[in-house]
Amino acid sequence: MSAPGITEPAEAIARARAGDANAWGELYREYAPAIFRFCRRALPTREDAEDATMEIFMKLREKLGQYDTTRSFSAWLYKVAANHCWDILRRRKIRQDKETEDVETVPLEHPDPNQLDKLIEARTSEEVRKALDKLGGRARMALVMRYYSDMSYDEIADALGVRRAFVGVVLLRARHELRQALEGNTALAAGGA
Amino acid sequence: MNETPEKEMKHLDEMTCLLYAERQLDRARALEVSAHTQECDTCRTLLRALERESRLLTRAMLEEDEPLPSRLAQFHERARRAMHWIWGLTFGLAATGAYALYAKLIEPWQLELEKAGFGGSNLLNLLIFQGAFWKGWQSMITVLEVAALMTLGGLAVMFLRRRIRRGSALALVFAGLCAALAMPSPASATEFRKGTTIDIHKDEKITGDVYITGERTRVDGTVDGDVIVFGQTVEINGHVLGDVIAFAQTVRINGQVDGNVRSACNNITITGNVAKNVMIFGQTVTLDANGKVGGSTTTFGESVNLDGNIGRDVLTFSAVADLGGKIGGGVRAKGETLIIGSGAVIDGPIHFEGNKPADVSPSAKLASPIDFKQIEKHVTYRHSDYYVWQVIFAAAFILFGLVLFALMPNFSADAVKSAEQYGASAGLGVLVLFGLPIAAVIACFTVVGLFVGISTLMVWFGCLYFAQVIVGALVGQWIMGRTSELWPMVGRMAVGLILVRLCTTIPHVGSWVKFAAILWGIGAISLAVYRRFQPMMAPGAPPAPYTPPMPPNTTVGGTLPA
Repeated sequence: MSAPGITEPAEAIARARAGDANAWGELYREYAPAIFRFCRRALPTREDAEDATMEIFMKLREKLGQYDTTRSFSAWLYKVAANHCWDILRRRKIRQDKETEDVETVPLEHPDPNQLDKLIEARTSEEVRKALDKLGGRARMALVMRYYSDMSYDEIADALGVRRAFVGVVLLRARHELRQALEGNTALAAGGA
Repeated sequence: MNETPEKEMKHLDEMTCLLYAERQLDRARALEVSAHTQECDTCRTLLRALERESRLLTRAMLEEDEPLPSRLAQFHERARRAMHWIWGLTFGLAATGAYALYAKLIEPWQLELEKAGFGGSNLLNLLIFQGAFWKGWQSMITVLEVAALMTLGGLAVMFLRRRIRRGSALALVFAGLCAALAMPSPASATEFRKGTTIDIHKDEKITGDVYITGERTRVDGTVDGDVIVFGQTVEINGHVLGDVIAFAQTVRINGQVDGNVRSACNNITITGNVAKNVMIFGQTVTLDANGKVGGSTTTFGESVNLDGNIGRDVLTFSAVADLGGKIGGGVRAKGETLIIGSGAVIDGPIHFEGNKPADVSPSAKLASPIDFKQIEKHVTYRHSDYYVWQVIFAAAFILFGLVLFALMPNFSADAVKSAEQYGASAGLGVLVLFGLPIAAVIACFTVVGLFVGISTLMVWFGCLYFAQVIVGALVGQWIMGRTSELWPMVGRMAVGLILVRLCTTIPHVGSWVKFAAILWGIGAISLAVYRRFQPMMAPGAPPAPYTPPMPPNTTVGGTLPA
């Protein structure tokens, strides 16, 4: 995972690692909006997202010494954020959605490609965001990690505590849930070419 | 859908298509999928649909649909984290200090006052809940109530907002506060009189409380209620069925007061009859030989002469206390000199804490010998108590500063900034430190200015402490670096204040350090106040728009790796 096209404030990161409070403030101002949005997508309420954002940055300050400067800072930051949000959800037992590592139970049939295409074309970003709010904790978390912060399957597996091979299942199941939420049409999600 | 050529073809499952679109398949499998989708319209359509779905998800998540919340806009958690232990220590010390203050000062005072004849009522009850002095400050009550409620509300929101942030809960809290504010105040039949000379004539009778502001006030008639008077000269010759509360230069009670007499004045003489208790803050207090107090007498003054008849206990804090009449209870006195005259008859025990033993006339009739205690003048630097109290005071200062900074963050920051102008702060500090109380005292001598004068003195007194907080914040900035954010500033204030307080404990030099800190700080506060009243010449330039970084986009689908 990297941040192509984004110039990371290497100098501020170095100064913040050395204990410069102002540099830390710069990093906060630079990344807080994105991290808040990440939390907003991953967690159920705005208040949770606000709290989580502050807690992530507090945690980040403690862990800044562990950051490997040869790697992307934003990637590391999102990893910390993802772990934190998932911890919150797990503590609240939101994780009890219907996932299982049993790959055999995942529907492997085609959805109707044309119907799926129409559904996607007809939906706006706002509708998708509203539908995301209706998803279970793990489904939403997986989608946010993959499609907001561009985390790799390995990183998602690590954050969610599942085997790498199961990440695809989680993502696919999350997409099905999302389609159900978007359309309220279980037939579409269940598929049947 | 092109069905004819696909009839015999087995379609790819959705999972395989998704993994292909996300480049998660190994090279061999990816080539198979690529070849299949070249030929199969259904699978190709599904693959495109999945890719579009990925892009829709990314776009929906990345869109900035709501701004950064205001409480996140200011970064202050670093200070909170860094100062966790300081806050723990501070609040711990503050709690200890509050308990120690109660145990060492307030509780003994309560007992003393009760012994002095205030029959079961403590000082707080006497001053506030019984409404004695407050009756003279009725116009301030609303302001104080609002301020107190706002402070409580602010503290509640500050500490509970992480838990109670939902609109309904907050609405409930504020509704409660508003309801408390909107509660109707008890009806009163207070009469107001204002003028240069106020006379309540001999045949005049006022039913209810009377509130008087006048240069010269003379009550010859009857008041069936309390008399609250602000003036230069007050003379009560008639009959007051309630309390007399007087703020004046000179007070004379020649008549009958059925209630209590409470007064803050330059000098007071009682030649009449007060049925209940007397409490006086004044320079000269005289109870004439003909005067009579049915209850107890509490005096804070330079010279206290009690030649009349007192039914119960006497409590006095004065340079010179001269007791010459009959006292039905005990005496507790603290000051330089206690004189017990020949006509004195004291039925209770006598405790005196002073510079030298009491001068007792051989003719005086005392129920018991005087319990004398020598005042220790020197600060005992070697005693651990001294340092314990210094720590408690430092914690109290930090708490005081925390409340002020939380209530007035912008003004506090301005004051700290002003303190960096050393010359201006010091110069203005001299002017305000000495000039303001003089002006306030002068104002007190005028009828209209009395209230303003006393209020100004109270504000000035508060500023003596606030000044040290400001200097502490500046010292903290020197050590920990400059900041414009609230909580880091509070952290610096705490650290700086501890250092300033440490400096003030240095023997011989400490008092000068304290004086300098007050001078400097009060000048900075004055400078900040002055600037607040200056007209703004031009609005500040708006800050440059800030564009937050976009998170990295996901890569979806795309061409098959070769």
